[in-house]
Amino acid sequence: MTDQKQPDSNQIDSKQAQQLWQSQPVEGIKMSAEVIRQRAGKFERRIFWRNIREYASSLVAAILFAYFFATTHIVLFRVAYALFIAGLGWVVLQLHRQGAAKSMPAAMGALTCLQFFRAELERQREVVSSVWSWYLAPLVPGFVVLTAASVIARPYPVGLAAAVLLDAVVAVVFLLVWKMNRRAARCLQRMIDELSAAENSH
Amino acid sequence: MSTIQTIPAAGSTQDELYQDAARTYGAALERLARAYEADLEIRRDLLQDIHVALWRSFAGFDGRCSTRTWVYRVAHNVGASHVLLQRRTRSQALVGLEELENLPDAASGQPAADRSHALDRLLDLIQHLKPLDRHVILSYLEGLDAAEIGEITGLSPGNVATKIHRIKAVLARQFQQGGHNHD
Repeated sequence: MTDQKQPDSNQIDSKQAQQLWQSQPVEGIKMSAEVIRQRAGKFERRIFWRNIREYASSLVAAILFAYFFATTHIVLFRVAYALFIAGLGWVVLQLHRQGAAKSMPAAMGALTCLQFFRAELERQREVVSSVWSWYLAPLVPGFVVLTAASVIARPYPVGLAAAVLLDAVVAVVFLLVWKMNRRAARCLQRMIDELSAAENSH
Repeated sequence: MSTIQTIPAAGSTQDELYQDAARTYGAALERLARAYEADLEIRRDLLQDIHVALWRSFAGFDGRCSTRTWVYRVAHNVGASHVLLQRRTRSQALVGLEELENLPDAASGQPAADRSHALDRLLDLIQHLKPLDRHVILSYLEGLDAAEIGEITGLSPGNVATKIHRIKAVLARQFQQGGHNHD
């Protein structure tokens, strides 16, 4: 029995697939260097606004705490709000340093796909696996002082009940954030392991 | 990391290198963008991002690899970044060539009615692949040889050969009418 391939569209082999792929119609988009230069500027602005959106929730929360700080007269509450603002500032700084959308590295062409993809995955894994230290822990001092302030400043048992309720909600949220990021880190690690396997196989 | 302040002046060699590359590989870059993004509007943005990355990259082009290898590396790396970014918003599971080879295929045995359908099917197949396998199949479809694919992807020659073997098997299964090609 011979493998007789008919030259119709139902029976294309890999060479025909190459032909099919290369002969597909394209728009023929042309961009002059000047347009590219403008587009590069636009790209940087898009990255800037994308990062601003990432920071927006922290900035809104910081403004809210600043308002609470200005309007309360109880020292312990003021300390708590100040700690929250400092914590959120630290979170935004870390987001900017390691987690935010980055501009395109100029050395992209010098890296093989394996090197580039691995570096990207490892960077993202570091961000999500260390979420406790840079995202959750900086907010803990604020919550500790806020709990103490609630217990001391408000009459028993209302202050205690409010503090316990607040801490329970915060603990659940922290746990969920931590678990989600752990899952994301495991997923990224699997992808890195696959790349390592591909890199090491001959 | 380059910023808007580091954009070089017009008329530099960087511009000439970019213009040459865009002229020579413009169509290939469009096809590549199509393989990384199905949505037309997002794809246009992606293609422009590839061009920007390419233009910017030529500031550091040292000639240690061919222009072709450089262009495909940049394009694939932008494409891979795009896939990673889209992972956050799209739940589509990506598969490797090995899994694709072993998966029962809904389209297998069904004739591709015309070139357009065949191309759609091919695109659908590529868009479901994991980035590294997508780099290999796209480079193969663009007619690059195993050595060049290895240089672009960083995979060993043996690994590229294995992947090309799998690609051929998958393409044959996808595009040949079940059983009719064997007499």
